[in-house]
Amino acid sequence: MSAAQAIPRISLLWLLVAQVLVIVPHLEHLPLWIIALWLVCAGWRVQIFRMRAQYPATWLKSGLTVGIVGGVFLSRGSLIGLDAGVVLLIAAFILKLVEMRTRRDALVLILLGFFAVVTVYLFDDRMTTVAFTLLPVAGLLAALIALQQSPQQQSPWPPLRLAGGLLLQAVPLMLLLFLFFPRFGPLWSLPMPDQRAITGLSDSMAPNDIAELSRSDALAFRASFEGAPPPRSQQYWRALTLDKFEGRRWSQSSEVRWAPAPPWTRAGEPLRYRIVMEASGKPWLFGLDLATTELERTRLMSDYRLERGRPVDKTLVYTVTSWPQALRELQASKPALRRALQLPADGNPRTREWAQQLKAQFPDEQARVQAVLSHFNREPYFYTLRPPQVGENSIDDFLFTTRRGFCEHYAGATAFVLRAAGIAARVVTGYQGGELNPSGNYIQVRQFDAHAWVEYWREGVGWTVIDPTFQVAPERIEQGLEQALANEQSFLERTPLSLLRYRHINWLNQLRLNWENLNYGWERWVLDYQQGTQLEVLQRWFGRLDSRDFLVGLVGGGGLVLTLIALWLFKPWRRERDVQQRLYQRFERLLARHGVRRLPAEGARAFAERAALALPGQVGHIRAFADAFEAQRYGGQPVAPEQLQQHLRTLRRALPMRWLQRDD
Amino acid sequence: MAMLKQRWQRWLHRRIPPANSVLLTQRRIFIIPTRIGAAFGLALFLMLMAGVNYQNSPAYGLTFLLAAVFVIAILHTYRNLAGLTLHAAGGRPVFVGEQATFRVRLSSNGGVHQSIALGWPPQELQRFDVSADGIAESEITVPAIRRGWLRPGRLRVESRFPLGILVAWSQVDLDQALLVYPRALPGELPLVAGIKDDDDDDGARAVGQGADDFQGLKAYQPGDSKRRLHWKAYSRGQGLLVKDFASLTGRDLWLDFDELQGDSEMRLSLLCHWVLAFSERQQPFALRLPGSVHGPDIGETHREACLRALALYGEGGR
Repeated sequence: MSAAQAIPRISLLWLLVAQVLVIVPHLEHLPLWIIALWLVCAGWRVQIFRMRAQYPATWLKSGLTVGIVGGVFLSRGSLIGLDAGVVLLIAAFILKLVEMRTRRDALVLILLGFFAVVTVYLFDDRMTTVAFTLLPVAGLLAALIALQQSPQQQSPWPPLRLAGGLLLQAVPLMLLLFLFFPRFGPLWSLPMPDQRAITGLSDSMAPNDIAELSRSDALAFRASFEGAPPPRSQQYWRALTLDKFEGRRWSQSSEVRWAPAPPWTRAGEPLRYRIVMEASGKPWLFGLDLATTELERTRLMSDYRLERGRPVDKTLVYTVTSWPQALRELQASKPALRRALQLPADGNPRTREWAQQLKAQFPDEQARVQAVLSHFNREPYFYTLRPPQVGENSIDDFLFTTRRGFCEHYAGATAFVLRAAGIAARVVTGYQGGELNPSGNYIQVRQFDAHAWVEYWREGVGWTVIDPTFQVAPERIEQGLEQALANEQSFLERTPLSLLRYRHINWLNQLRLNWENLNYGWERWVLDYQQGTQLEVLQRWFGRLDSRDFLVGLVGGGGLVLTLIALWLFKPWRRERDVQQRLYQRFERLLARHGVRRLPAEGARAFAERAALALPGQVGHIRAFADAFEAQRYGGQPVAPEQLQQHLRTLRRALPMRWLQRDD
Repeated sequence: MAMLKQRWQRWLHRRIPPANSVLLTQRRIFIIPTRIGAAFGLALFLMLMAGVNYQNSPAYGLTFLLAAVFVIAILHTYRNLAGLTLHAAGGRPVFVGEQATFRVRLSSNGGVHQSIALGWPPQELQRFDVSADGIAESEITVPAIRRGWLRPGRLRVESRFPLGILVAWSQVDLDQALLVYPRALPGELPLVAGIKDDDDDDGARAVGQGADDFQGLKAYQPGDSKRRLHWKAYSRGQGLLVKDFASLTGRDLWLDFDELQGDSEMRLSLLCHWVLAFSERQQPFALRLPGSVHGPDIGETHREACLRALALYGEGGR
């Protein structure tokens, strides 16, 4: 290893810093021993640099490699797949640190680092994360720059400053590429990140499930309407229906899960809106009432839920057309109705008895439904996020003993009673309401907006929506969960730091709404900037485009941007070969920024005197520069630009900061 | 291939004609990606593939950002070299087998120039920093392999700063040349005093190193060589003393090429050694090469002339 090939200290320093910064956003999906591995390797590397340790021997390197591959297998259960792949990548990234001897090795490490940053995005593409990753990128660039510096350079900051400057100057060109670079679909399919536990609706519902979900303030989706959004009390975002009851848990029967949608009839005015959905790890999409979408590989299923071919594992944007007054399944098939009347053979005897009474009392189906709903209204039922435990006969306990419950208790009990009373009914889960972001004119729906309600089937009308929760706590539907739980003070009680708890503080709320608006824009315009959106956006701006326009835009725009940056970098208009003259020009510009301009044909001495009069505080510095300039220029003193520069610097520091300071 | 090379050299000659001082401008700077740049490009391609296959906008974004950095780096790499002036600052003659040192002065016309590499490939390039408005003296060494004029040819000046993914380079001809003397080879000396066929041969064949001896010090008299002044004694306050050598007979010493055995390079090396030895001892001598005679004489100029004659022997040199 020749001296020229050794890795400079500054480069090593920035590599270590950048490595930490690369690993930090990965931590969420890395096993913990990776941190220990990094500490050992970084310490070792520093000791090698200080000549207190040796490079690892070959047997040790192979041993470490085998150990790490084994470790990845143990902690991830496999060596293939994205998760294991990323752990291996990071481990290699760390191990290479110890092994690196030459500049070439350092380069490999830097390139690995860039790639490791890209893999961060596969797991987490939030705006904050992406913004954070600019730090490791700048660090890696600084390390790359420091590799090229001569060993005389001792300060770590210039490479970082230069890296930052390069990144800033690259931004316009990057935007251009981002806008115009043609997007196409995946070329081949790659393993996706393993599903981590995402809070959200599940495909079954037991008492307390939704109450648990309601403790989370995580975002579920955002919806922006073309016109005015419907009133809050009509915002029932459907996810799926649960038609199978097993004593405690509601779930979906397999027939409902796979069958396509039965016929339905359009009625009324449609609603059009766009939904930006967060990753849910589940295949179903959200929409109001009966919703249709153009999204590919997405179908309306037997219970009129929207389902996509594969789970939503990253932010998904789709447009929806809803028909709130559509008539659904006017002619229900016998098996379908039988499924909607199914009940376990036994259990909950008191409820069944009550249902039989109702059936006898109200021969009309609709009157029977009304009787159930008004029962919740009339009797002392309470809406609470802390429902007491219910026993074996969960519905009996709830209806007749505890009388305290969250929406899933009311929905479950209502569906049970209706079925027992001979009316086909099912539980619907989804979200209700949401928060209107006034600056962006869209509705944000969070996990605590999760809700469950009921649909029952009526001859000649089809499926009809009823919401027993409304009977108990109308403010939940009309205003939201926070208002419904006002007495109980249990809204987001486990997350005291959630900004949503402080909506009453006006400025904080405004700040939060703006921040959320920014995030919405990020998801809507950046994350979703793929094939379709790109064409849509560009056509809106530039009219119809073909591939030649893309090329012209890229090349022409790129050329223009480069020319501007080149002009800014080289400043040909102030090229002055004479060092003294150039420094004098800088002196003039500095004073001009403070309002003293040299008149045409005004001599250096006269100008300095005038400037000294105009800026009495800096007389000394101005004279010092002018004297030195005169002495060097005309007085026969040796040329010493450093001296002039020194005077200029003191003058600049003495003057108040004005405009952008230019460094040459 | 050789023809292409020749054409390239001719083209280069027209574009950057030899001169003692060359300002690097856009006409004289070439810029191409390095192997590191190719690796960087490959990494960018892989990142783009990740972006395409995962339909991941941030991955696209980072790829484009780094691609834009690549493009911007062209300007920065160019800027690091442009505006630099190279002046030939001479060098000293050396002997075969030594490292010839050429001095090149780098002066900036306003910007900082970092890590400027200079050299004659295949020698490893040496790197220098030039501060803004500053001047850097660089010494570039080339092994002296043959005697005669050493013309290293076009000096390669390149800069990979800041990212190393691109190299901006130029090849300038600073019209530099150094004289390389023959290697000095100690050995038997055929000393010829005066005219070759002198009767008095006995004292003429003096032997080796002991040809003359230091006899002691004597008082300085006007006319004594100042080079022989014993300064140490003077500083001790012993007055002006002169080192006194018993010179051989008082006749001039002749170093004759034709008297020596062996091939001509061997003879030149031997002669070189003795030219140096006699000059060291302040002894007058004469050098006779086929076709030219130097001396008898003494002093620095004589020594230089002799060495030059030895260096350029047989080259019809300059």
